[in-house]
Amino acid sequence: MQRISIDPITRLEGHGKIEIFLDAEGNVANTYFQIPELRGFERFCVGRPIEEMPLLTNRICGVCPEAHHMAAAKAADAVYHVDPPSVAKKLRELLYMAFFFTDHTTHFYALGGPDFVMGPDAPVAERNILGVIHKVGLEIGGQVIQARKYGHTVVEMIGGRKVHPCTAIPGGITKGITEEQRQEIENMGRWAVAFAEFSLKLFNDIVLGNKAYVDLIVGDTYYHRTYYIGLVDENNRVNFYDGKVSVVAPDGERIGKYAPGEYTDWIAEHVEPWTYLKFPYLKKVGWKGFVDGKDSGVYCATPLSRLNAADGMATPRAQEEYERFYDTLIQAEEEVYTSTGPTRVVHHRLATHWARLIELLYAAERWVELATDPEITSPNVHTVPKEKPTEGVGIVEAPRGTLTHHYWTDERGIVTKVNLIVGTTNNYAPISMSIKKAAQSLIKKGTVVTEGLLNMVEMAFRAYDPCFGCATHSLPGQMPLEVTIRDAEGNPVDVLRQFC
Amino acid sequence: MQSAIARSTSGKTVTDPTPHPTSPPAALVIGLGNPLLGDDGVGWRVAEQVRQQAAQATLPVEVDCLAVGGLSLMERMVGYRRAIVIDAITTGQQPVGSVSCFSLEDLPDLTAGHLASAHDASLQTALQAGRALGAVLPEQVLIVAVEAQQVYDFSDELTPPVAAAMPRAVQAVLAALDHLTEA
Repeated sequence: MQRISIDPITRLEGHGKIEIFLDAEGNVANTYFQIPELRGFERFCVGRPIEEMPLLTNRICGVCPEAHHMAAAKAADAVYHVDPPSVAKKLRELLYMAFFFTDHTTHFYALGGPDFVMGPDAPVAERNILGVIHKVGLEIGGQVIQARKYGHTVVEMIGGRKVHPCTAIPGGITKGITEEQRQEIENMGRWAVAFAEFSLKLFNDIVLGNKAYVDLIVGDTYYHRTYYIGLVDENNRVNFYDGKVSVVAPDGERIGKYAPGEYTDWIAEHVEPWTYLKFPYLKKVGWKGFVDGKDSGVYCATPLSRLNAADGMATPRAQEEYERFYDTLIQAEEEVYTSTGPTRVVHHRLATHWARLIELLYAAERWVELATDPEITSPNVHTVPKEKPTEGVGIVEAPRGTLTHHYWTDERGIVTKVNLIVGTTNNYAPISMSIKKAAQSLIKKGTVVTEGLLNMVEMAFRAYDPCFGCATHSLPGQMPLEVTIRDAEGNPVDVLRQFC
Repeated sequence: MQSAIARSTSGKTVTDPTPHPTSPPAALVIGLGNPLLGDDGVGWRVAEQVRQQAAQATLPVEVDCLAVGGLSLMERMVGYRRAIVIDAITTGQQPVGSVSCFSLEDLPDLTAGHLASAHDASLQTALQAGRALGAVLPEQVLIVAVEAQQVYDFSDELTPPVAAAMPRAVQAVLAALDHLTEA
């Protein structure tokens, strides 16, 4: 049996490795996606005051500290059985919209977008943000930097620090904003809406206007029918900060919604001997292996999942784009599969990039909504916890998926137990399935394994924007993508190596 | 950096809210890493000691501690002509606690902690992008790296060989600063 090894995955936070095993005929027999595990977080947290958790958890990784800060703060609210004032929730959500806007912008222009803007088989040295800037123009590159700057500025204004906010505490937030700050935030938000609309237009022109790319998106290589989850508000519209988790089946049937405290009734974890990480699945459906379909408990939690799990978007322009998304893709979907449930679902994994941009627009619109809320400058930003602390769960949508923090404390508020299900971990099973399917579709007997071909395998999981920085450590920096092809005895017969 | 997009849609100018250093110190020293991940926190600790010693010697340098990479790291370097990054490194080819100094351009053959990020770009690419956009960025980025042992276990303590390497790492940064200042 031959083995092709992609080690580590390029442009991913955390040291990942893909093993592709070929059979004697030269076809793909199986694939394994492995990630080393960070150890000892629970041990590190136990014995510390619950108030420290929003600060500790936002140091888990450098990619989405704001998400951990918010999930931890919400879990700490629950531990103390305290409901923060409405303005505190709005300020947290406002910070969170700016973070989402920044993160999604970065992904589209620097990580996922280059595959389309530059082309999946473009030289690896060009398939990055620098290539995008050269392709679309310096002014657009400047917009990307400006978008990130505005997002970081809002996070700092409300969160006290850039990148690693520190103001969310049990019962609310430590400080409000002034009218002058509010005006500045509103102005930046209106700019953000324009930028998000431009980004959707860019996607429309470059990707949807290119038949080859559309065929790639709606083709079978990147297609999986799984369950989808995502936070929704009381009207079943996408919400990043609060609500219940909606669970929708592959046929579009919503099988239920769960509140944060009910997550253990819905989510269980499967263990495989070849990896330290566990595979979450839907407990009510059961683990049936790495397979598609309504009988398989494999679920997905991504921007595409959030749209599939909801009935729409809560802001007007994002809702228009949501309608266009489903009107466009359901037509292609119906050629292979017809949704029988009440919710429209799209299973094409590469459509996640488009869904992410719709979320980008939603985040910007919601940013403006909150910045113009009449009470947003109210100083009533904290409710003093008075109940005895016990146990609590906080859930937010991280850019990469549903993020769950669960804490237990003693009566003094000292942490006794911790459980986290981080965004990307939700997607470990579907990512593994997508890698296998892409590899089987693209690598056949006699195939010359080129850089472009391997990138198309990588695209299968890059759509998920996987980040194992919180499940693992971002150890490698500039690392090679190494492909080792071995003969039946395990001897290397060819090695491909590239840097990106 | 006000854009045509923003002008055409909002109808008013959005003021760039981020302060630019008008006359920044000659050099920026960044301690990089995660202070909760054992040896990965060595960059922060060395940077703190450099901060103290630089202040006593009134060196024209600014010191910061960060846990970011790629574009965010590049953005922090805007306005500076020279930069030194202190980070943990895991080559597995040198004894734990070894202190290495090299230029960022030398990095592809090594593996330093946070100089590339999945969710934006490598620092090298980010610097190229920043320069292409007209930003003032360091002409040279020096790396002072300490070979690490434990970077997968949550801990706020360094392993003994890495802790023992701190004075050498601090001296390496100060020597690099002398060299940069003279240059």
